[in-house]
Amino acid sequence: MVKVENLVKNYGNFKLELSMEIADGRVTGIVGKNGAGKSTTIKSILGLIKPDGGHVTINGVEAERLSSRDKEKIGVSLSDSGFSMLLSIRDIICILKKMYPAFDEAFFTNSCKAQGLPMNKQIKEYSTGMRAKLRALIAMSHGAQLLVMDEPTAGLDVEARNDILDMIRNYLREDDKRSVLISSHISSDLEGLCDDIYLIHDGKVVLHEDTDAILDNYGVLKVSEEAYEQLDKSYILRSRKDSFGYSCFTNEKHYYAENNPGIVIENSGIDDLILMMTGGN
Amino acid sequence: MRGLIEKDLRLTLVRKQTIAIFLLMALFMGLSMKGSFVVSYVTMLAMIIATSTISYDEYDNGMAFIFTMPFDRRTYVREKYLFNLIMAIGAWVFGILVYGILDLIRNNGAGLGEIPMLVTVVPCIYMVAAIMIPLQLYFGTEKGRLALAVLFGAIVVVVMAGSSVIKSSVNPLAAVAKALDGLPVAASILLVFAGAAILTGISYLCSVRIVEKKEF
Repeated sequence: MVKVENLVKNYGNFKLELSMEIADGRVTGIVGKNGAGKSTTIKSILGLIKPDGGHVTINGVEAERLSSRDKEKIGVSLSDSGFSMLLSIRDIICILKKMYPAFDEAFFTNSCKAQGLPMNKQIKEYSTGMRAKLRALIAMSHGAQLLVMDEPTAGLDVEARNDILDMIRNYLREDDKRSVLISSHISSDLEGLCDDIYLIHDGKVVLHEDTDAILDNYGVLKVSEEAYEQLDKSYILRSRKDSFGYSCFTNEKHYYAENNPGIVIENSGIDDLILMMTGGN
Repeated sequence: MRGLIEKDLRLTLVRKQTIAIFLLMALFMGLSMKGSFVVSYVTMLAMIIATSTISYDEYDNGMAFIFTMPFDRRTYVREKYLFNLIMAIGAWVFGILVYGILDLIRNNGAGLGEIPMLVTVVPCIYMVAAIMIPLQLYFGTEKGRLALAVLFGAIVVVVMAGSSVIKSSVNPLAAVAKALDGLPVAASILLVFAGAAILTGISYLCSVRIVEKKEF
């Protein structure tokens, strides 16, 4: 569905340089620290910024040349941008009806009501959580085949985050060909939702892996300095000096469990992935 | 395009109270002042309201989301020119109604003969929009206003200098001014429309170039 090939974008000293792919029916996550290049990648995919090199295609069409028909199949939720805060949901319904031929007014209205979003209030009067829910519902209101969501749960409490994640899951359940590209710095959100994860650091993809593989095979070995010296480092991706010795990040924790009886292995999640892959040696 | 017009219309209607005050002021002006000033006044106000929709789009980084919706950048620009035209014509009609009704009451419609010439109010004021739109798109709201003020200052200086040149001596400009003065009403109207069309065309091309180069 989405192919990013050798994308290059320069901003002063920062250089984004990556390739990635979002297949049909997949939920792909982008993780990384602030300023890693997540939003720049998403903006390139949406044609909001012009790459200095490489290609971004959606269903074979260059992102910058997407027609109205192509764009109708994409639902977008951006963390820092949306409809004017002066508008109400009633206004937005009238706009979306004319903007998207496939706009599902009944779904949108019912979902807004179910989420407790007031129909006649201006968006500026909404809480942060309500605005985030509205942005997500707008993206899902017209049967898009691809959802692109930049930090849809940023700054929200657990309940609001779960509501948004449930909305996305329900949306995907309706059609198994729907794809989602989602960026977030909240690892638990992605662990429970994404099929695969891209870890971006300093504008580059440092790791691409299936979420299940990360949760099943990746782990952090806690070893003393002596044990570290003797450790087979074939499957150590990163290691970091700690007060007790070394923390070693591996993608084959079962190998170390079998070959090093008694070794301390902590199951890793996406948080460890980010910490170790972007901060270790 | 229809979605964009709906958006701008909704953003305009958000300021119902301001618009109501403008319209009341127009009515008051129509009642208290003689002549057709009210027509130019409401048309100009409508133009300011219409161009300010660009500011609303830009506010809170709104452009990034707007350009993910199903239209291209050229369509966005086209809609801004169309929306300004719709607003100008709507306001002009309102102004003419106020002017016409008051003239019928006061002078038995003696001033209604002015209406054909008042048609030029729309292209004249639309030319202001044609200058404002690319400036707002290029500089953004705040700097755009400043650029507009500087531009109009420069135009006033040029016009004043030009008129003093025409008055002071015999020159080709004076001949042109004299020729324009003697033109029939229909030709004058056509000339104003042609001028507005040319300026709008140039302005549109500039705006398209500005928006197509922008990153959000």
